[in-house]
Amino acid sequence: MLTGKLITSVISCGRDRSLMLNNQRSEKIKSTATKVSFLVALFLLWEFLPTWTQSDKIIPPFHEVIKAFWVNLWTGDLLKHVGYSLELIFTGIAIGILLAFVLTALCIISKRFNDVMDVVISIMHPLPGIALLPVVMLLAGLGAKSIVIIIIHSILWPLIVNALAGFNSIPKIQTELGKNLGMKGLKLIWLVMIPNAFPYILSGIKIAWARSWRALVSAEMVFGASGMIGGLGWYIYKTRFFMDVSGMFAGLISVIIIGMVVDELVLKSIERNTVQKWGMSV
Amino acid sequence: MKKILSLILIALITFGMFSCSGSDKDKVVIAQQFGLGYAPLVVMKEMQLIEKYYPNAKIEWAQLGSGGAIREAMAAGQVDVGSMGVPPFLIAWAKEYDYKVMSPLCEMPLGMQTNNPDIKSLKDIKPGMKIATPSPGSIQHILLSMASKKELGDAKALDKNVIAMAHPDAASALINKVEIDAHFTSPPYIFKELDAEGIHQVVDANEAFGGPFTFLVTAATGKFKNRNPELFGAVEKALKEAIGIMENDPGSVADIVAPTLKLDTETYLKYCNWPGVKFDTNLRGALKFLDFMNKAGYVNRQTDNISDFMW
Repeated sequence: MLTGKLITSVISCGRDRSLMLNNQRSEKIKSTATKVSFLVALFLLWEFLPTWTQSDKIIPPFHEVIKAFWVNLWTGDLLKHVGYSLELIFTGIAIGILLAFVLTALCIISKRFNDVMDVVISIMHPLPGIALLPVVMLLAGLGAKSIVIIIIHSILWPLIVNALAGFNSIPKIQTELGKNLGMKGLKLIWLVMIPNAFPYILSGIKIAWARSWRALVSAEMVFGASGMIGGLGWYIYKTRFFMDVSGMFAGLISVIIIGMVVDELVLKSIERNTVQKWGMSV
Repeated sequence: MKKILSLILIALITFGMFSCSGSDKDKVVIAQQFGLGYAPLVVMKEMQLIEKYYPNAKIEWAQLGSGGAIREAMAAGQVDVGSMGVPPFLIAWAKEYDYKVMSPLCEMPLGMQTNNPDIKSLKDIKPGMKIATPSPGSIQHILLSMASKKELGDAKALDKNVIAMAHPDAASALINKVEIDAHFTSPPYIFKELDAEGIHQVVDANEAFGGPFTFLVTAATGKFKNRNPELFGAVEKALKEAIGIMENDPGSVADIVAPTLKLDTETYLKYCNWPGVKFDTNLRGALKFLDFMNKAGYVNRQTDNISDFMW
């Protein structure tokens, strides 16, 4: 993807290619160095400030948090909680994406359905999942089912909004061109419309991931709904009541790590292999 | 560089906020709670008993959501005096938080009720059945652990069945036979549940514990005691006086206390005279709680000496 990007820039700017490469490299090194030194400074502050200010009971030093994380990961229940959370979230995301796909397709096919969806989206989109949880629990009861419904709610609307925006932004000339080449129906959708709308769809998926992750952890915490084998939210909730502050931070670190791993490895690599490769980004 | 310096400065200020608290000598911040067991605190406030012993006292009553929040506020130095169940108190004490018991408050009948006629003992609880307690580590949760240790041989046997639910929500869920199968609770919810139809008790807390035990204690931070020992003494005296009033003559404070519990006078008096309800300044059973919690792995600090956690 790097070369692809370079070639376009080389063609458009007519600059010396190796100079570009050098500039990019040194910029990349600088950027990485800044990020790393920021993290190191943060960890050092975290390590020493609590002890200096005698607030180490409220914020334990960094090494204790890491120790708690490590110990809980291998001997405690942390992995089980992580697994449970991931199971819930992937169920939610899978159902959410499927639903979003069907609803978006219906919106494209039928203008009337699109009008109805417009109303539904403007009602549901601003509604936080947590606010909905008491209602959902009335319908689906305590436990995993309610949380999955909250996850679906929190991702469905941004997915549809983004996908529709994507399909609406396709230049007419592209679809006309496709039709001229003899494409029809599914083939047109698959080869012309989806690639064109993909930057929007992808940013919808990114928003969906962040929102579902937040919805999951907070739903588990607010209502402690899923019991003692529950996910990470319940783990953090539990450590709070046993005043296990290091464990609490260990839970937070797990939440951050999973969020980052999915964002960096899954979503960014999809982006690199599609939108960036095709030379389009929003 | 400038940016990094300002970041450090911001961090310093943030940490500084944790470590400083009110320096006003005559000020005391007391966490207010509602519930039959906390009634002495209400009496102390409304009858201005602290002012009686320390006329210059500046008392601030803090409203916090839960016992957990009170404990956290005490740890952060925002609250000087607060009440909680004995096990939650011990959990933070075991983490060497700087606070001790100022005075025990009461003994109460606690227990676990179910709406399922098939549940006759803890052995009948199947995986997937839900037992509501207010939170992990609450006195209700620890008593359930004690009961399962006794009946099932494993303190944590039912931990997978435990869910966290506030008392009022869980009581109405149990009575309406939705969501949960059992509820480990304390007055007045236990009274309401036992009065309702189709609900029976599975665990009696005194039986599980093996005798009577103190339910709630009022704790005070070491910082507060050092800042103004006289005011500390005044609060202690006032609290003990209020406890005496609640034990000997609850009728005389009915119009103060009953409204805070949303009860009419008659029900309030009925609850006050319920067998097992006792407002008492003697600490009972705390060492047994501590011993059990150590053995079950909930805490990790032992003592045989009550004065280690009592002022």
